[in-house]
Amino acid sequence: MDFDWALLGFGPEGWGMVLIRAGGMTLVVSICAFMLGLVLGTLCAWARIAGSRWVQRLAIGYTVVLRGVPDLLVIYLFYFGGRQVVAAVGTALGFEGPFDISGFVAGVLAIGLISGAAQSEVLRGAYYAVPTGTIEAGRVVGMGRLTLFRRVIAPQALTTAIPAMGNQWQSVIKETALISVTGLVETMRQVSIAAGSTQEHFMFYLAGAVIFLIITSLSDIVFRIAERRSLRGHQQGHA
Amino acid sequence: MSIPAIAVTGLHKSFGANAVLRGIDLKAQDGDVISLIGASGSGKSTFLRCIPMLEVPDSGIVAVGEHVIEPRGGILSRRDKVTARTIRSELGFVFQGFNLWPHRTVLENVIEAPIHVQGRPRAECVEEAEALLDKVGLSDKRDAWPVHLSGGQQQRVAIARALAQHPRALLFDEPTSALDPELVGEVLKVIRSLAEEGRTMLIVTHEMGFAREVSSRTVFLHQGLIEEDGHPDQVFGNPVSDRCRAFVSGHFQRNR
Repeated sequence: MDFDWALLGFGPEGWGMVLIRAGGMTLVVSICAFMLGLVLGTLCAWARIAGSRWVQRLAIGYTVVLRGVPDLLVIYLFYFGGRQVVAAVGTALGFEGPFDISGFVAGVLAIGLISGAAQSEVLRGAYYAVPTGTIEAGRVVGMGRLTLFRRVIAPQALTTAIPAMGNQWQSVIKETALISVTGLVETMRQVSIAAGSTQEHFMFYLAGAVIFLIITSLSDIVFRIAERRSLRGHQQGHA
Repeated sequence: MSIPAIAVTGLHKSFGANAVLRGIDLKAQDGDVISLIGASGSGKSTFLRCIPMLEVPDSGIVAVGEHVIEPRGGILSRRDKVTARTIRSELGFVFQGFNLWPHRTVLENVIEAPIHVQGRPRAECVEEAEALLDKVGLSDKRDAWPVHLSGGQQQRVAIARALAQHPRALLFDEPTSALDPELVGEVLKVIRSLAEEGRTMLIVTHEMGFAREVSSRTVFLHQGLIEEDGHPDQVFGNPVSDRCRAFVSGHFQRNR
């Protein structure tokens, strides 16, 4: 098998620039979805730890549903189903069509919701891992709830959560490949276009794998640095 | 007479069907060093924890200086909660298990509450914290992490942390019970020096010799009630209550 390397280059025949742009899109979608997941996950964890009975049930319902339904289905639901809802609402409000919902928005919403359910479990576990004695020590010096959270609970919980949050981030990156079904040109979509039009399937899917690997390994390094920094004081050995 | 540093009246507390405190009255004047002794389960730790509302009493009145809390049915009203925070910042509490904040250095543990609860300027707090660490013999551990310290050292940091709030009274909940025997002495030495300074202290302890030596008053609890209350020489030497006599003599025999 001969590879025509020029196809991956930046010349007139090359897909290089296009692939880099697609990789950038994967990264942007991932960041947006992960951040949305972080916000939802935090709210949901908080609801389950401190919410009233109904708020707790709502939060549990959210995690159960989104962890028990295929990711692809959620994306279709938001993209095609979302379109229908937007159209119905738009018509009802008297706007003129045609109505559309972008693949980017639907994808970020879907992946963010899925990731939020998983992140809430991570954050909840991390909260319960904070030694109660340290919380009591905060209360007994007169800290209010907010100070207690900011100065005692959050820093310790984050330390526990960072490795698992790293995993969540990795799976968000991989899940974004599913958004390709909406036509959003991210890495997965772009390599399959390239593979289809050049018939160099092996080369382009391999290139796609490399793009994902670059993003995930770089993130791995970032999370490892964050973990090491947050572990100050928690390990035996050298300070 | 001036307002007592701590005044507790009619304190009741149950955990489920288990009545742990069954009506405790205790007043501590400024400068008193009161040791609380009694068998495990007599309620002495629960009593101590009720003062800063770490446990909310079912009924009774807790007053620290002029700040009064009267919980009803084990629930604090909104106003009580505010008062509880005031009371907490007027007391220094030392736990059996130290409970230092593991994510902060020794110095950061000591300056945490003065800066973030009392809102005092950082430079002043650091200077004072250094003096306190010197006092408990740990100035060289200023930048160490709690996990790198021995239990005795951690407890001394915890004492410095309690002192940093300028408390009106210090509460010690079995401060040496979690320590290896060879580390007990260094902690008791610090507490003794505080007693000599005239600090107001309530000390729950199983160290009978120490209690007899440092306290100005000893209280013996039995099944959630105060059964003996007096000068340590009397409580340890010639108690009125038979149970107290049995408890005390049992302890001294065991430790001989």
